[in-house]
Amino acid sequence: MNGARVVITGLGAVTGFGFTWQRMWSEMLRGSHCIRPWQPDEVSDGSFPVGFAAPVDMALLPPHLDEHPAWRLPLEKRSRYGWVAASQAVADSGLDAADLREAAVLSASGAPHHMLDDMRLALAEEPGAGADWAYLMRRADRVHAGGSLRQASDRLARVIAGHFGCEGPVVNISSACAGAAQAIGNAFQMIRRGEVELALAGGADSVLNLDTMGSLYLLGAATSEQRFGADLCRPFDRHRSGLVAGEGGGFVVLERLDRALARGATPYAEVVGYGSSLDGYKVTAPDPQGRGAALAMQAALDDAGLDPQQVDLINAHGTSTPLNDVAETLAIKTVFARDEHYRRLAVSANKSQFGHLIAAAGAPEVIVTALSCREDRITPTVNLHEPDGDCDLDYCANQAVHRSVEVALSNSFGFGGLNTSLALRKYRRSR
Amino acid sequence: MGAFTQTIAIAGAGCVLPGGAGVEDFWNSLCAGRSGIVPLQSSLFHGNRVAAFGQIPEEVRQACRQDVPRNLQRYCTPAVVLGVAAARQALQEAGVDPRQGHLRFGLYCCQGGYTHPSLDAYAELLQECRGGDDGLDLRQLSARVLETRALDPFLVLKSLSNGLSGVVSLAFDLEGECNAYMQGVAGNQAALREACAALRSGRIDAALVVAAGSELDALALAELARAGIIGTNGARAFRPFDLDGEGGVAGEGAAALLLRRSEDMAAGPRVAIGTIAAQAELAALELPGEPVDLLVCHGTGVPAVDRRLSAVLARSRPRHATCAQPVTGLLSAAPGLADLIVARSSLLRQCVPPVAGLERPVSADLPFVTGAPQAARLRSCAVVGRDDNGFGACYRLDYADAR
Repeated sequence: MNGARVVITGLGAVTGFGFTWQRMWSEMLRGSHCIRPWQPDEVSDGSFPVGFAAPVDMALLPPHLDEHPAWRLPLEKRSRYGWVAASQAVADSGLDAADLREAAVLSASGAPHHMLDDMRLALAEEPGAGADWAYLMRRADRVHAGGSLRQASDRLARVIAGHFGCEGPVVNISSACAGAAQAIGNAFQMIRRGEVELALAGGADSVLNLDTMGSLYLLGAATSEQRFGADLCRPFDRHRSGLVAGEGGGFVVLERLDRALARGATPYAEVVGYGSSLDGYKVTAPDPQGRGAALAMQAALDDAGLDPQQVDLINAHGTSTPLNDVAETLAIKTVFARDEHYRRLAVSANKSQFGHLIAAAGAPEVIVTALSCREDRITPTVNLHEPDGDCDLDYCANQAVHRSVEVALSNSFGFGGLNTSLALRKYRRSR
Repeated sequence: MGAFTQTIAIAGAGCVLPGGAGVEDFWNSLCAGRSGIVPLQSSLFHGNRVAAFGQIPEEVRQACRQDVPRNLQRYCTPAVVLGVAAARQALQEAGVDPRQGHLRFGLYCCQGGYTHPSLDAYAELLQECRGGDDGLDLRQLSARVLETRALDPFLVLKSLSNGLSGVVSLAFDLEGECNAYMQGVAGNQAALREACAALRSGRIDAALVVAAGSELDALALAELARAGIIGTNGARAFRPFDLDGEGGVAGEGAAALLLRRSEDMAAGPRVAIGTIAAQAELAALELPGEPVDLLVCHGTGVPAVDRRLSAVLARSRPRHATCAQPVTGLLSAAPGLADLIVARSSLLRQCVPPVAGLERPVSADLPFVTGAPQAARLRSCAVVGRDDNGFGACYRLDYADAR
């Protein structure tokens, strides 16, 4: 598709590895992961069946971020992480306040965090049948200011736009685990179409609370595996048993190439295509043949005008769930069937290292993909020791790989059967 | 294919809104000035300060459930059910069926700003688990949730921000591209923008744009009241642009549009979507440069604010103006789509519905139609909406009959 060239000129990530993309990248190249024992705040006796996650560790907060306003305003923690990640991306890009005035902000958020403190307000002094809603309404002013009930879903996008004075479109994306990828994809399309020249795009999420993790466990999505300790997130391994949640946020600065070059910016990578699809199969499970995933990857390639043979790397959705990893492998084999190109592809699953950031997941994964394009280094899929018989691609098991990465895809698939794929390319001044 | 000059037409529309289930029913309510705003009814809560709501009658909800396959109903919030019904109407009017497979479809969805599942779902559990120093025995709650599955495990799916897109795609076997948003005016604008761009690029042949949401939840209403978006004087009616306005009244509902490239449609009267503009502040919004025959717009029910809005909106120099909000209330998810349906119906019928209940306009800036519907020669229309955060969006619609 014709249109303006779009490049990534700023990165920001908050994950269990810490509060900078540089730390995340270096730890991932070392083959580390940040998954550790975890229980919801509300359960203190270790009885919660989900025992591991990749939470953000506030002890890693660098001194220069101590005073960030995100920590002072009443916000859900996911919004705090997102705001800090967006600030990092802006600083990384070298943009100044005047540049940002025309920027669009596209942000993804996931399911809200219900605060049990708020639920307690529904308990009347006099017991009755069920919760007493009239009593709750009388105490509505005590609803937690930082809880989801007081936070409109587009709060993060609005906060970022307000903080940086962005006057372009402010869009809140809601496509579950594909959210941040859709935000980046929509921003890419808007710039390419000439609607804006600059965008902050990404997402933030945290499901590390009692009710959301409880529901994910009851649905069979979150693993309660104990055998492997903290090494339980094992995409494509035969012992994988479900997703391991992380939390955090990620944002990128997307910019029209000529604009970026005019101000002396050095792009990390070029975004060249975006594709999305629907499974039309089930709300809770992917199409076992990976049909929707294949459609999204093919759509991204078509959008970029790329031949499948040109792709070197796939940053996989790779959730470590029994269903996803086989379906995604089948989808890759479908799209890259010609000359069995799938045998020459590198496939990497970042969730093995920083967990599943749910609505935000696509953002740090796009960041990692962009860095792979820039540095020709591929982060490993860790804890992959016994590949599933149906998962027979090169998943870069356990060790980072030095390899030329000219073109890469980053996949994100969501509950509800919404799939996205972004095509990135090593930045070169002329195509 | 690929030309960016192609016009995009509304080939079908559907709605389940206060005042009407289906476009015809909704139009009749608009023309009759029959509001869907009723005394707030909930079996679980009541309020004196917030006394009215744009509500979908229970019998309509039940009828809409017939549109949702039984195996999908457990994943649906009430609003998602309305969204599926609206989508089905839009597909039917356009005469297209995704299952026939000869068209490439895209799906673009918007949900309301508050998608937390109603705390109703927790009510019995919370009562069971009373105890402890601060009112709730968390150990017991955790055990009941996890060991006896007392909590609906589908609650997290019902609260998913893309529940609407998931269920609509499954209900109609859609496999094409998809985007999902969670905002009111801004989300509708983003969905329509991406849908039109996908049609113009040639990636798809038909775009289904669906929005659904509801604020019929005690805490959501309390938060809207705290933010000053809905009135708290016990008002029973919503009177935007009226000196007797007493603040907003929330509403619920769903709307859907089926968009196609004009060139792909049979000859006949049609309404095309022209320019789409958006701005973080309504006052800075780019409005049509030429006078329009009709303006469909949003107000707040706060006279001082509506007076300022009128001055901004008057820049579009409309010959007629109307507002559907006294019938629907403030829609959390479908404000833009509902207004586009009003505008399209007006253009196709060459008739402007009145602003229900408008008796004392806040200013003379806008030529609102009052009392009875007014026949008019309508060729162009501007639809201007605003979110409670000031975000504004403007669509230009044009009527043509190529026969």
